[in-house]
Amino acid sequence: MDNQTQTRNAMTPTNTAGEDGLRIDQLSVLRGMALVISKLSFRQQAGEICCLTGPNGAGKSTLLRTIAGRLSAAEGTITCSVPLVYVGHTDGLSGAITGRENLVGWAKVNGLLAPESDIDTALAGFAANRFSDLPVRVLSRGQRRRLALARLALAPSNSLWLLDEPNAGLDRASNDSLDQLVTGHADRGGMVMAATHLDFAAAATPRSLHLAGIMPETSSASAQGKIG
Amino acid sequence: MSPFLAQIERDLMIAWQNRQDLGVMLIFFVIIIALFPLAIGANSAILDPLGIQVVWIAALLAILAGFDRLFAQDVRDGWLDQVSLSPLGLGWYALAKAISHWLTAGLPLLIMTPVMAIMLNIPTIQWPPLLIALLIGSMGLTLLGVIGAALAEGARRGGALMALLILPLAVPLLIFGTLASQSEDGIISPHLMLLGAVFAVLLALAPLVAASALEIGETETGL
Amino acid sequence: MFDYLANPSRFMRIANRLLWPLVAAAVITGTIGLYLGLFVAPADYQQGDTVRIIYIHVPAAWLALFGYVGLGLCGLFYVVWRHPLADVAARAIAPVGAVFALLTLVTGALWGKPMWGAWWVWDARLTSMLILFFFYLGFIALANGFDRAERGSRPAALLALVGMINVPIVKFSVDWWNTLHQPASLLRRGGPAIDPSMLTPLVLMLVAAHAYFAVLVILRMRSLLAERRIAALMLRSGGGE
Repeated sequence: MDNQTQTRNAMTPTNTAGEDGLRIDQLSVLRGMALVISKLSFRQQAGEICCLTGPNGAGKSTLLRTIAGRLSAAEGTITCSVPLVYVGHTDGLSGAITGRENLVGWAKVNGLLAPESDIDTALAGFAANRFSDLPVRVLSRGQRRRLALARLALAPSNSLWLLDEPNAGLDRASNDSLDQLVTGHADRGGMVMAATHLDFAAAATPRSLHLAGIMPETSSASAQGKIG
Repeated sequence: MSPFLAQIERDLMIAWQNRQDLGVMLIFFVIIIALFPLAIGANSAILDPLGIQVVWIAALLAILAGFDRLFAQDVRDGWLDQVSLSPLGLGWYALAKAISHWLTAGLPLLIMTPVMAIMLNIPTIQWPPLLIALLIGSMGLTLLGVIGAALAEGARRGGALMALLILPLAVPLLIFGTLASQSEDGIISPHLMLLGAVFAVLLALAPLVAASALEIGETETGL
Repeated sequence: MFDYLANPSRFMRIANRLLWPLVAAAVITGTIGLYLGLFVAPADYQQGDTVRIIYIHVPAAWLALFGYVGLGLCGLFYVVWRHPLADVAARAIAPVGAVFALLTLVTGALWGKPMWGAWWVWDARLTSMLILFFFYLGFIALANGFDRAERGSRPAALLALVGMINVPIVKFSVDWWNTLHQPASLLRRGGPAIDPSMLTPLVLMLVAAHAYFAVLVILRMRSLLAERRIAALMLRSGGGE
């Protein structure tokens, strides 16, 4: 990796970073020997929704996991002053206990005061209260996802949500609930960064961060980033 | 409730739902003990002096056998990602895992030990030093198991690898534990203190090492 | 991070410059040491010619311990400063150290058969060396136990650090156990009263063994670095995923 003439995701920051925003500077991430993200700089401020787009392997999940601190950056810095909530490919649910127990356990481990009524509201947001008292192992993929997303309703209002393919496996009604939750969170000053293939939270006219990926085949100038 | 206690509560709830695993572990413990007379012969002149050592080896194997899945389930479920972002932190998380694992594996084994002591003809006067030493030893082994499980998390052949990592490091616990169990001058023997010292080192070491090993989660779920 | 190859290459330039002097030192001191040890030094009045195995046994045991300290230091460098070269060095040292530990055990057994009448006695030093050998094997298995090799670097470095703290405790406990179970010390070699005619070849053999150890580690590091460079080049040229 001594050669620095790699293709860049040419990002030009359009905003100056606010005090309580997300600030990524010259970020490079390696997976194994492969450079997945190269020299990425990005700013996101309170109240903004950002959709990560790009082909498979472009580094969307890698970027989210790096911001969440689950992958280490090879170079560059990420500064974020607000709490993070991450919903990744795995739902973070134990199959042995019920959905409600999972949700309450998550809230307690995060030190959130969650009275029973808040839990009920969070579950109702994704119409999850009908199956929330069953062990998670008997639930379908989409039902688990709804339980995982129900966490977002308990998250602090200034938090940054990192959502990795949040609508995978969701039905239309749950998708609408998610849209509402995301836009509502942004309206209250929260931030959302989501990797998604679908038109997501379109009403809020989100920014989009396009990751073109650093594929060996596309080492010419064809790979580029754009901010919408 | 503090995040630390919440993590223990969550693990205990999961362990309760999977309580048949506890039975398997206890039966494993009993079977290892039963194998010794079968291999050595029913001659009580040979068997009786070996009672305490047999209990220790069986406890060592039974406790360590349950460790390869200690973090694996949380990694697969994505719970580790959630914990790493929580105020709990990975060090306290590892300690909480150690406590809940000891409560669901070490403690039942300790409760089972008097029954085994009767089967092995260990005189009752030896029971207090044996149980005290086994109490500290089982906690030390649990901490070693946490270290091993965190280091081997995500590796191929995790279980066999863990045994290779942990058993050499378990030697001091085994040596001082068996010596303290055979103490004839009171329960608080020098060997028990040495056992306690080894336990204290592990208590300081295990959360740090486990947190450092679990810090970067490399679940291969796409890019 | 991107001085990753620059820094190792600077290191390897220095190492390569040292390589041939080290080879020469190993060959010269080794030849003289072996000659003095096997032909000139007197046979022990009790042990006869079997004592000559110490010219292999002692340097091997020394280097097995040396390698273990080296592993611990590499682990520290890797965990604290995340220096990739420390990982390469640890991976280079581990098998060499393991072989020296095995050599110690084998020569100990060969010496033990005529002396003790048994290939293996649960002597404290032999037992500690056996555990150290297992520790090396655990390190190698862990470092290579993952589907992507570099994923094993951090756990292996942490294991080396744990070993740095724990192996002395193991050694202490084994000594303790040994004095309790076997009050009579069976083995007392070396000691301050060693005759110069035996000390000279022993020192020469120690020098030779250290030089040999360094040569092996440098050669292994060179090939490990080359392997990584090839893997990186293949990925860049589209040979990878």
